[in-house]
Amino acid sequence: MTDLILQAVYSGLLQGGSYALIALGLALVFGAMKVINLAHGELVLLAAYIAYTVESKLGWNPIMAIPAAVIIVTITSALLYFVVGKIKTNREINSLTLTYGVGVILTNLVLMIWSADVRATSSSWMQEAFVVGELYSMRSEVLFFGVSIVLIVALWWWLSRSWYGRAVRAVSSNRDAAKLMGINPGKTELVSFIVAGILAAFAGVALFSYGVITPAYGGVLTVKAFIITVLAGIGSIPGVLIGAVLLGIAESLTVTLASSALQELAGMGLFLLVLFVMPNGLFGAARRRG
Amino acid sequence: MKINKLLIAALLAVYILVPVLLGGDAYVMSLVIASLIIGGIALSWALLGNLGGMVSFGHAAFFGVGAYTSAVLSMQYGLPIFLGLLMGGVGAVLSAVLMLPVLRLRGPYFALAILAYAHIFRILATEWESVTGGSAGIASIPQLPTVFGYDFASKTGNYLVILTIVLVFAWIYDRIRRSPHGLALRAMHDSEDATRVVGVNNTLLKALMLLVSAFMCGVVGAFNAHYINFLEPDYAFSALWVTIPIVAAIFGGYRTITGPLVGAVVVYLVDQLFVKNIMPTGHQLVLGLVLVVMIIASPDGLLGLFRKFMRKKDAAA
Repeated sequence: MTDLILQAVYSGLLQGGSYALIALGLALVFGAMKVINLAHGELVLLAAYIAYTVESKLGWNPIMAIPAAVIIVTITSALLYFVVGKIKTNREINSLTLTYGVGVILTNLVLMIWSADVRATSSSWMQEAFVVGELYSMRSEVLFFGVSIVLIVALWWWLSRSWYGRAVRAVSSNRDAAKLMGINPGKTELVSFIVAGILAAFAGVALFSYGVITPAYGGVLTVKAFIITVLAGIGSIPGVLIGAVLLGIAESLTVTLASSALQELAGMGLFLLVLFVMPNGLFGAARRRG
Repeated sequence: MKINKLLIAALLAVYILVPVLLGGDAYVMSLVIASLIIGGIALSWALLGNLGGMVSFGHAAFFGVGAYTSAVLSMQYGLPIFLGLLMGGVGAVLSAVLMLPVLRLRGPYFALAILAYAHIFRILATEWESVTGGSAGIASIPQLPTVFGYDFASKTGNYLVILTIVLVFAWIYDRIRRSPHGLALRAMHDSEDATRVVGVNNTLLKALMLLVSAFMCGVVGAFNAHYINFLEPDYAFSALWVTIPIVAAIFGGYRTITGPLVGAVVVYLVDQLFVKNIMPTGHQLVLGLVLVVMIIASPDGLLGLFRKFMRKKDAAA
């Protein structure tokens, strides 16, 4: 039993890497623009299906899809920014309905192009066993966990050291003051959408490499990313990573100890618990209660 | 009194003319009934959005819970079906009570949390097999009964019932909007803090709006269950029950009472009669497109756009 639990914790930890990338994208855009992008999960899904196409049509390893996925998803994300920017009144509420609509469009595009069938990688290189002591995983899981950590560190460096990264943080914390310091908020918002798109592209390729994808999965991913930001609280990168790992572990433990059908309920349970006990998240400072 | 005459004429038209003219055509009647079902959900969604200031992506939960409540109560406990419809609303209210903690969250967080909540109920319906029949669903749910010799299970009977439900809801919505609470709710749009200072209990009012909205959506869901006689979790909690009503409400104008109803009829009929023929898979893409275009061009709906246009014309004259 103990080794089963250890195995579940390990799998959950690895899953947490991609979850963190998705949640960071959602949090970044929300921070910079105060817009919750309900189509964010669909961006991830788009990348996953690009990986599927590269594998099934060209016969390449899904990793080779990363450049194409990054380009296409980033362009889609940037387009989304321009559409959201067109909203004239009541942006906080209207952007929700708008991005929900974009999510519906993307889901149905995926459905039309790739059909409703469940897809998974057939690359044996990706599915090769990777054993650490007693713990088992697929090679792709470990590989993409490593990629996620590298990306998260890069993101942290970018936010704390680079001009644009610091501009994103400045706009997040005080838009007017940032303007007075000579930061163009519009440009900064666009940058946040682009970075979120890049993170989503990597996460999408990762999800395809070790999991199964369906057109309806996008909405589920958005909810998961949201649960993670609730767990983490806004404004903490390590918090998001820990929240993502917690969600991953909670899910894989539920699958091991109960049933795979209850997997989504695990995340919800965690979410409710945090909401009641620590409404500002485990690490966040910002107030979410109204 | 001109308006009252108009209202009576409109009521006579929908209650008598529509069944007399279209009643013979089962296909047309089924389209009309379906668009009224969408209209009912759209109305409940718009009530929450307009009066409560909350965008909900979780109305599929209320719809599904209402449907299951009425189906289970009427089949396993022999509850009369018209009572079952009411209980469907009550069931949805109970599920909304579970959502109340979410009200503590601010705008965008509320929207996402309620979206997440909707998933829970779908999973529960799938897993709680002893009551809901699991993913196989419930078949042969009883139809609406025959009362005083009138068969409500016929197409025209179903039409009259859902029409009455929707009209009663519209009337309730109107009463709430005109009441002092409606005034407070509208004031809350401008400043929550200001209304709190003058002694309005914001959270209580918002909670009440959520419950009223859930009740309406639950009753419509219950009606739908007895109308199509079949339920399964993926159908009852489908995202479609959120998407089409949102598009309808935004299209018609969610700040009005007629907007969501008119929007539902237009959006549903166009979707079913034209779009679905052109693109059998993924026809919802057009719904998403309509939503995006409406939010950018005229977030107050076509009626709002029309009014703006009239005002410009007045100003020019």
